[in-house]
Amino acid sequence: MTDTVLFLLVDGLTNGLVYALLALSLVLVFTVTRVVNIAQGEYVMLGALTLADLLQGRMPGTLYLLIGGLALCAILDVGRWRRDWRQASLYTGGLIVAGIIALALTRGALALHLPVIGMMVVALILVAPLGALIYRFTVHPIPNATTIVFVIISVGVSMSVQGLGLLIWGANPYPVDPIAAGGVMMGPVFIRYQSFAILVTALLAMGGLYVFSEFTLVGKALQASAMNRLGAQFCGIPVNATGALAFLLAAAFSAVSGMLLAPLITANYEMGFMVGLKGFVGGAMGGLIDYPLSLVGVMIVGGLESTSAYVASAYRDVLVFSLLIPILLWRNTRSRVEAR
Amino acid sequence: MKILSVAAAVAALTISVSVHAADKPELRIGSVVAMTGPASALGLPEKNALELLQEQLAKDTSLPFTVKFITYDDGSDPTKAVNNVRKLITEDRAHVVICCTTTPTSMAILETVTQAKVPNISLALGQSVIEPVQERHWIFKTPSTDQLQVTGLVNDMVKRGIKKVAFLGLEDSFGEGGWIAMQSVAKAKGVEIVASERFSRTDTNFTPQALKVRQSNPGAVYIHAIPPSAALVHQALKRVGYTGPIYHSGGSANNAFIAIGKQDVEGALLGTTPVLVYKDLPDSNPLKPVIAKFAALYEKRFNVPKVDIFPGQSWDAGNITLKAAEEVVKAGVKLDDLDASRAALRDKIEGVKNFVGVGGIFNYSPTDHLGLDHRSTFISVVKNGEFRLYESK
Repeated sequence: MTDTVLFLLVDGLTNGLVYALLALSLVLVFTVTRVVNIAQGEYVMLGALTLADLLQGRMPGTLYLLIGGLALCAILDVGRWRRDWRQASLYTGGLIVAGIIALALTRGALALHLPVIGMMVVALILVAPLGALIYRFTVHPIPNATTIVFVIISVGVSMSVQGLGLLIWGANPYPVDPIAAGGVMMGPVFIRYQSFAILVTALLAMGGLYVFSEFTLVGKALQASAMNRLGAQFCGIPVNATGALAFLLAAAFSAVSGMLLAPLITANYEMGFMVGLKGFVGGAMGGLIDYPLSLVGVMIVGGLESTSAYVASAYRDVLVFSLLIPILLWRNTRSRVEAR
Repeated sequence: MKILSVAAAVAALTISVSVHAADKPELRIGSVVAMTGPASALGLPEKNALELLQEQLAKDTSLPFTVKFITYDDGSDPTKAVNNVRKLITEDRAHVVICCTTTPTSMAILETVTQAKVPNISLALGQSVIEPVQERHWIFKTPSTDQLQVTGLVNDMVKRGIKKVAFLGLEDSFGEGGWIAMQSVAKAKGVEIVASERFSRTDTNFTPQALKVRQSNPGAVYIHAIPPSAALVHQALKRVGYTGPIYHSGGSANNAFIAIGKQDVEGALLGTTPVLVYKDLPDSNPLKPVIAKFAALYEKRFNVPKVDIFPGQSWDAGNITLKAAEEVVKAGVKLDDLDASRAALRDKIEGVKNFVGVGGIFNYSPTDHLGLDHRSTFISVVKNGEFRLYESK
């Protein structure tokens, strides 16, 4: 019996950490841009499948998405050529250079047969800019839209990206190599090395974000636009650029979580959405604005998921998503107290 | 490359090449399969086999009629399937419809083919497609069913003296089908189901269900799922220290299962159709030469290392149609008379006896539109990363 409890605890914690990276992304995006990003989970899928492609020596399909997105960016910018051709040519040139760099990097990585960690970095460089591109296409044109409009847009983005994933990779699952194969027996419980990798990476990511936003100018600008968008604008902070940066960082965190998760469950086109939603339930605990509370939330989600799958497996998702109701009620009473 | 191949599949939406010959009536076989969408991994091989059959017929002039194949894509979508079947019946005036790849699409078109009185051969796994038979007068199918495969597996459990089994299944319609089959078979064979756990394809952790199963102390575990989750659940069972036999549905009988499960799935037992293990069958088995011939043709034409179970299903459907059509023409029914020949074709399909196909030996009857029995169901075991025939003790 004790080993059962230990198993559930370890797995709950591992999954909680995966969701934690998602919750981190959601909070980051929401605070800076006021977008409740339902599509956040899709970067999990993109990260996992890109890594799978790289490890199996194929040209990753993400490259098509990236180059297509950059091309679309250039097309959207076409109006500027008349007004200011110097700036416009610089911008377009930059996009072309970015595309070439991405292509060269991928080819180089495939030729060198980098180890898993090296391939993860390459995959990260390919996936993270997609976040900024999606910001450019869906949020940048309508900065003053209401939250509900952004929610609907993000649902659309989620469906489109998942559809593209199906088109590029097909419905087959791809096995992905872990950072370190095997595991260790701790008492009666077998723990995979990958679980430790998840723990270390999640802690590094959280620490990194903290250091970045507290001790760098760009990070402080990000924080400022999160606290007060208008005020930040008055201080000369380019809020559109900070929005794009938030999307980019969030995409990076989510992609990392996908790459860590993939060796445990394989990579496939529909893996992202559920992970994204569970991260969202955890993030809701912190009202999508509070990092520490969101962490508590995702750990509760991970633990509840693992115990409910044990106790009543047919109802495990029902139980996890029902958790939203008490969380929202609790948030509601709390905000009322604060208002008073 | 993949984008290209998908684009090619879309471009090939309509494949209609007729086999010309003078003064012979024309038999039109319409089919709708999932060339795109989530079920394309099944639908594309099915389309390929029909293409292969068409090419084979082009060389063959012995038939008393010419054959025209009309194939559409349903994108794994029931609505599209219904529209395309309607088009086949009214515009293309098909004599027989072969549709569809999945159980949901096959269920959606029942009404359409029944009303139009057109014989339909489904390529779906679900038993509900052809049962109850009195309501499914016009529907037949070629793939084996859950019931048949579970019966084969439970028989093996009984032979080994296993009295208690735990069920682990997907929580969608596929898993539900397995659960229903398992309940009725276990009851009939006197095996007790001591646990029933569910999971979904997008789950991230399968250990809790495995723990629950281990705790119920079963003699064997039966997993009704498809990869990746089928292989991941198997791994989870090993991880929590379960050492008994693990049985799988035919849904796991593909290369992805071994690619994901690797050494963990060694010894897994799977209910399967003969295609997967035909090389291990004794030479006396009538299925062996038929499958070997088809496999050689298919593997050469489409350049695949090993044929899987899906192309054989549409290949059989096409060949059963041809056999029935021969009988119809012999009986003097004119293929140009659409209504009469459709009805005659249905009767002749129902009359097909001892037809040795790739998926098994078919014996249709007014009470059985599946036509397969235990002679077409085998158990395969994963041995050194390959599916081999399992010799039950």
